[in-house]
Amino acid sequence: MHEMSLMGDIIQLVQEDAAVNGLGKIEKIELIVGDIANAMPDALKMAFDIFRDQNPHIFSETAELVIHLEEAKAKCVLCDSEYRPEQKIALCPSCNIPSGKVLAGETFQVLSYEGSNR
Amino acid sequence: MKVTLRTDVLTNNNRAAEFNRDLFQTTKTLVINLMSSPGAGKTTLLEETVRVLSGKYRIAVIEGDLATEKDADRIRAMGAKAVQINTHGGCHLDARMVAAALGEFDFEEIDILFIENVGNLVCPSGYDLGQNHKVAVLSVPEGNDKIPKYPQMFMRTELVLLNKIDLLPYLDFSVEEARQDLMEINPESTLIPVSARTREGLHEWFFWIEGAYAKCVQQ
Ligand SMILES: Nc1nc2c(ncn2[C@@H]2O[C@H](COP(=O)(O)OP(=O)(O)OP(=O)(O)O)[C@@H](O)[C@H]2O)c(=O)[nH]1
Ligand SMILES: [Mg+2]
Ligand SMILES: [Zn+2]
Repeated sequence: MHEMSLMGDIIQLVQEDAAVNGLGKIEKIELIVGDIANAMPDALKMAFDIFRDQNPHIFSETAELVIHLEEAKAKCVLCDSEYRPEQKIALCPSCNIPSGKVLAGETFQVLSYEGSNR
Repeated sequence: MKVTLRTDVLTNNNRAAEFNRDLFQTTKTLVINLMSSPGAGKTTLLEETVRVLSGKYRIAVIEGDLATEKDADRIRAMGAKAVQINTHGGCHLDARMVAAALGEFDFEEIDILFIENVGNLVCPSGYDLGQNHKVAVLSVPEGNDKIPKYPQMFMRTELVLLNKIDLLPYLDFSVEEARQDLMEINPESTLIPVSARTREGLHEWFFWIEGAYAKCVQQ
């Protein structure tokens, strides 16, 4: 997996914005990670810890990463029922027909961050 | 101070993908992003594709690879221009890497660009490169379980080339089961069984490319 490079992207986005806002060290980053977004929360946390420990000029020592999980959700276009897609993403469990469309779970966003005032 | 962003993590990638897409569109280049696990047969399929279609189309290839120049050399031997992008251990191509390689080509002189992604069934599917189509290659020796095990690859591609069907008599792979699994993950996707070795089924893949090319130049 590529959580290190994803974390690099995340920190770049946050750093650029913090510079615009004239903020100092990053104290917290909050992410939204969907079930089927191709990113593993544990690996993201590990990557964050490594970045934080290696970049004391960017992060405060106690900086933390908070991950909000977004549950995957799909809706059947035939019977309108909502279900949580597992492996067979499009298969509606009530109709047993591949008639489901994914509604949620693909989100992978930086929700917010906190930075110290300089 | 807390700042709310709600920015997609892949924002920078997606920006580069749009840049690529603009270039491909204005030069009417059909771009196909080919993804699979290592060794499924992407390069062999491209060798055959270049060999058969280069009489009709001007074809170029970007080869994504962890380290070597080998796959690009194989494509060059078939007579197409190929540029290698080494990801130095990175598990996927991203749109910025592709954008950086675009200067090597004259797109007024190219009809179809194939991008062979790094061999990996997980990571490449999440990255938009600006392509017109994402195509997955799955090979018979990998087994039937790969489609349900890696649903994200198959939900994000619109065509699956099932390669190495010359090996079907020796293995317990079921093509029907693969079709069924694919339909239950992505009913809009199509499965084409092929063998890059015996060339069985490849005409269907070429037919698909011709359709995609016709659509691409009409727009
Ligand atoms: N039997 C059989 N072997 C094949 C077929 N297509 C490819 N191969 C063999 O499979 C091996 C891997 O093929 P490649 O084309 O290098 O696979 P790839 O997907 O490009 O591999 P990476 O770039 O390393 O991810 C080679 O030894 C090929 O000769 C096929 O249709 N049938
Ligand atoms: Mg290859
Ligand atoms: Zn239903």
